[in-house]
Amino acid sequence: MQAVVRNYKARDYKSEVKPIWCPGCGDYTVLNAITRALAELALPPHEVAIISGIGCSSRIPAYTSVYGFHGVHGRALPVATGLKLARPDLTVLVTGGDGDGFSIGGNHFLHACRRNVDLTYIVMDNQVYGMTKGQASPTTAPDWEGSKLTPEGTGINPFQPLVIGLASGANFIARVSSSDPVNMAQIIVEAVRHPGFSLVQVLSPCVTFRPDQAVWRDFVRTAEVDCTDDAARAARRLMTDDGFNVGKVLFKGSRAPYRPEFERSNGSIADLESRFML
Amino acid sequence: MTTHSVSLVIAGSGGAGVVTAGSLLLNAAAKTGWYALMSRSSGPQIRGGEAATMLRFATRPILSQDDSFHLLMAIDWDNIGRFSAEIPFTGNSLIVGDPAHGPCPAALLAAQPRQAALALTDIAEKIEGGRPNMVALGAIAAMIGLPPQAMQTVVEQYLQRKGPAAIDASMAAFHAGFAAAADLPAIPKLPAIAAEKEPRWSITGNEATGLGILRGGVRFVAAYPITPATEILEWLAPSLAKVGGVLVQAEDELSSINQIIGASYGGVPAMTATSGPGLSLMVEALGLAVAAEVPIVVVDAMRVGPSTGIATKSEQSDLNIAVYGMHGDAPHIVVAANSVADCLFTSQWAVHLAESMQTPAIVLTDQSMGQSRAILPRPTPFTFSGQRITAPAAGEGEGEGERYQRYAVNGSGISPMAIPGTPGLAHTADGLEHNPFGTPSSQASDHQAQLDKRSRKLTQFNYANHWADIVDTDAGPGDIAIITWGSSTGPALEALQRFSATGGKARLISLRLIAPAQPDRMAAALAGVTRVLVIEQSHSGQFYRMLRAFYDLPRETLSLHQAGPLAFGPGRILEQLNSWSV
Amino acid sequence: MNKTQTDGTEIQTVPQLLAHALALETEASERYGELADQMETHRKTAVAALFRRLEVAEKQHLADLTALCKGVELPHYAPWDFKWRSKECPETIDIGRVSYQLSVRDAVLLALEHERRATQFYTDVANSAHAPEVIALARQFAQEEREHSAWLESCLAECSAADSTASEDPDPPLSQE
Repeated sequence: MQAVVRNYKARDYKSEVKPIWCPGCGDYTVLNAITRALAELALPPHEVAIISGIGCSSRIPAYTSVYGFHGVHGRALPVATGLKLARPDLTVLVTGGDGDGFSIGGNHFLHACRRNVDLTYIVMDNQVYGMTKGQASPTTAPDWEGSKLTPEGTGINPFQPLVIGLASGANFIARVSSSDPVNMAQIIVEAVRHPGFSLVQVLSPCVTFRPDQAVWRDFVRTAEVDCTDDAARAARRLMTDDGFNVGKVLFKGSRAPYRPEFERSNGSIADLESRFML
Repeated sequence: MTTHSVSLVIAGSGGAGVVTAGSLLLNAAAKTGWYALMSRSSGPQIRGGEAATMLRFATRPILSQDDSFHLLMAIDWDNIGRFSAEIPFTGNSLIVGDPAHGPCPAALLAAQPRQAALALTDIAEKIEGGRPNMVALGAIAAMIGLPPQAMQTVVEQYLQRKGPAAIDASMAAFHAGFAAAADLPAIPKLPAIAAEKEPRWSITGNEATGLGILRGGVRFVAAYPITPATEILEWLAPSLAKVGGVLVQAEDELSSINQIIGASYGGVPAMTATSGPGLSLMVEALGLAVAAEVPIVVVDAMRVGPSTGIATKSEQSDLNIAVYGMHGDAPHIVVAANSVADCLFTSQWAVHLAESMQTPAIVLTDQSMGQSRAILPRPTPFTFSGQRITAPAAGEGEGEGERYQRYAVNGSGISPMAIPGTPGLAHTADGLEHNPFGTPSSQASDHQAQLDKRSRKLTQFNYANHWADIVDTDAGPGDIAIITWGSSTGPALEALQRFSATGGKARLISLRLIAPAQPDRMAAALAGVTRVLVIEQSHSGQFYRMLRAFYDLPRETLSLHQAGPLAFGPGRILEQLNSWSV
Repeated sequence: MNKTQTDGTEIQTVPQLLAHALALETEASERYGELADQMETHRKTAVAALFRRLEVAEKQHLADLTALCKGVELPHYAPWDFKWRSKECPETIDIGRVSYQLSVRDAVLLALEHERRATQFYTDVANSAHAPEVIALARQFAQEEREHSAWLESCLAECSAADSTASEDPDPPLSQE
C-alpha cells in the first residue's frame, strides 16, 4: 500500500467503443485487468500504446483509450518492436491470441523473445480460432474433434508457448487465468515494470467454440512455486506442468533489453555526401 | 564508334582479381578526370565463380553501357562463355587472352572480333609478388590512354596497409603490362582531361538510394538481407548512426515491413529495402499501411524473377506487383529511379511523397543501377518542403473538445495524424475498414468514404514536373516519342542523343511516377506525337500494358520488351527511330 | 499472491472502510454497465435493461458514497490489496458466469447472489471491527445492500420459473476476420 494520490482510474483507460466479444468471454476480463494495471502504474493514457494483430483478442486496442494499432494477422510483435525502438519513451503492450501469436506469427514470437525489446506480450490462449468459427489452433489438444476442418482432431501435439518463450530468451514469463482478474492485473503490472520482453499467457476460455473450457476455472490452481531467475529450473517446471498452474511469475531473467540508441555521433548528411566526392 | 567513350570487360574466375582490377581502374579513371560506369556480372558461387567487370569510360557523363565492347581482357577463360550474351562484340572488338590458359572459347567469337595474346601469367611470374590482374591493368591503361600516375595513386591507397613492398610489386606488374601493350592492336583511346573540371562523385545506385532516403528524413530502417538490395541496408546501417537514426536487422521481410510501420506510426519516418521475393512477402503489410494511413518507403531493387529467379541479375519485372500487388482497392505511390544518380532524387522524393500523403511509397530500382558504380557529376542538391501533417495536442488546435478523428474525411483526403504521446488524441489505427474515428466499421458508407479519401489524397497531390523526365532532340520533339522507365532510360537517352546528332526529331519520356497514373500530364507530353516506342526489360511487356491501361497512346505504338538480364542497347533503339524517320 | 483471505478483520478505520466501499460500488456499477453493454451488443434487450437498471442504482449508490467520502483522506489500495473474500469485489459479477443467452431470471439470481455477498462483506466488517463508527457505517452499508437484494427478490417474483438460460442457439455463430 502506498500513500500516493492516484490520478487514474481503470475506466480512464477504456474507450467508448463497445466490445463485440461474446458475453462470458475471458477477453473481457483481460481488458479489465489491463486497464486496472495501467491505472495502478499511473501511466498517462497517451504515453501507452497497445498493438495487436487479428483475432478476437486482437480487438483490445480499440476498446482502450490509449494509442492503439490493429494490424494484420500475426504481425503485432514486429509493429510493436518498431514502435518501441523508435519511441522508447512509450510503454508498449501487445495483445493477441494463440493463433495470431504462435501459428501465423510464430517466427516473430521466437525472435521477439530473443531480441528482448522492452514489451509486454499478453496472449489470450483459448486453444481455438474464434473469428473463423472454431478451428484448432497451435495450442489445441491433438484429439479435439470440434472443428469441421480437422474432424478427427489434429493429431499434433500442442505448442508449448512458455517453454518455447523461455528457450527463445523471454525475460519474464507468467501464466494467469481469466477467472482471476485481480491477480492478472497484478502480474501485468509486474510484467510492464520488468525490463525486456515479458510474456504473459492468459488461459481465457472461448464460451462459444470451446464450451468445454468452462471447467478451466475449477482446474486452475495457484502455482506452488516461487519465481526463479534460473532458466534451467524454470524449464524443468514448465516442461512438466499440466498448463493449469497459474497466478505466478514463473521466470524473471536479468538480460538487458535490446535498445539501440538514436544518438547522433557528430555526423551530418553533408559529411556522408563528402565521402562520395572525388 | 565515337571516341568519346571506351568500353571494356575484365573477366576471369574467382580469385583472379577482376572485381578488384575493375575498381582500381575506375578509381584511376576518376583521377584522370573521366566519367565512368562500372557494372558486373558473376556466376552463382559465393567464392571462386566466374566474374566479369564491365566498364565504360568517357570524357562526358555516361548514360548507359554501350552496344558492344571494344576490349575483353581475359585473365583466364574459365566459364566465360556464360557471359557471352551479356558482352556483345563487333568485328572491331579486341579480345586479349593469356596463352597460358589456351585459346579463346568459340562462344565469344560469333562476331569475329580481333584477337591478341598477352602472356599475363609469364610476365607476372617474373616479378616477385606480381599478379596477372595488375599486368592486365597495365595493358588496359596503355590501350585506353590512362596515365600510369593515376594508377600509382590508387594502388598506393588500396595497398597502404600491406606496405611499400606490395605497392612496388603491384606497380611493377602494372608497368610491365603497360610496356607489353605496345605490341597489341589499337582500340579507342581517351584523352586525359583536367580532373577538377567539375565536381564529380563516385557512387553506386544502392548508395545513392540510401543517401536519398536519409536526405528525405528517414531515421528508422528495418532490414532483412537480400540480393541485390543488401548494399542499400549495409550503407544505411553506419550512416544512420551518424545522423541519429537506427537500423534493426529483422527476422524476415514480414517483420521488417511491420517494424517500419510501427516506427512510422510512432512518428519516425521509416523505410526498408528488399528485392522481388521480399516484396512479395511485404504485400499484405503494404495494404495495411494504405488502410491505416501510415507513411513508409519500401525500396525494391529488382532482380530476375519469378521466385528466386536469377538473384544477381537485373530485370524490370516487378512493375506489376508494385502497382497491382495488393488486394482490395489500395491506392499507393510507386516511383522508379531512372539512373544511378536518380536513385538519390527518387528515393528522397519518395520519402516526401509518403510522408506528405501518409501512404506507402514503393521505389523501384534494379540490380543494374543498384550495383553499378558511376563516376558522375555531383548531383544538384534539392529539398522538398512538404512533410507529415500531424495533429496538435487536444486544446491546442481547432475543434477543441471534439473527439479526434484520425481518419477525418476532408477535401485533401490528408487528415492530420496524431503521434503517440500527444495528449488527448489517442486512437487506434486500423487495417480494418473504419469510420473517421478509426473505429472498425462494416458499413458500406464508411467504406466508400474512406476509399474516396484515400484515393483523393493521391490524385489531388501536386507531383509537379517530377512525374517524368522529358528530353527532346535538339531540333525539337517531332512526332515520335519514346516512353520508358528505370534502367531502360539510359540506353534510350543515348539513342536519342545519337538520333539528335543526325538531325532526328523525337521526345523521350521517362516515367518516374508509375502510380498513380498522370493521364493529363501524359496527354500534354504526347501532344503532336503520332508514333510511340515503349522500351522495357520484361518478358511480358508489363510497362507497355500498364501504359495501355492508363494512358491514351497513338495507334502506332510499338512495344520493345525483352527479359532480363539482357538490356536494349542504344543501337537497337536508334535502329527503330531511324526506321520511323525515313 | 499477497492477497490475504480475510473476514474483514483488517478493516478497522472509517477511511479503510470507505476505500473498500468506494471500490465495491465503483466496480459493481461499472460491471453492471459493462454487462448491459454486452447484452445490448448482442440484442438481448430484456436482460440488458435489467443490468442497466442495476447500473443506475449502483451509480446512485456510488454518488451518495462519494459525497460521504468528501474531505476524507482515503488510503490507496492496489486492486489486489483489498480485503475481499472473493477474487474481485463481492458485488462484482464474474464475467465468466454470464452467457449471451442468459435469461432475465438467471441474471436476477446472479445479481442477487452478488448483492448478498456484499451484504455479507459489510456484516463481516461490522462484526469484526472495534471502532463504533466503523461498526455503525458497515451496518448502514449492509442495510443498503439488503435493500438492493429486496428489490431483486421482487424482480425474481415477477419472473416466470420457466425463464431459464437456453443452452442451444438456433443460429450458428458467424465468422468475422
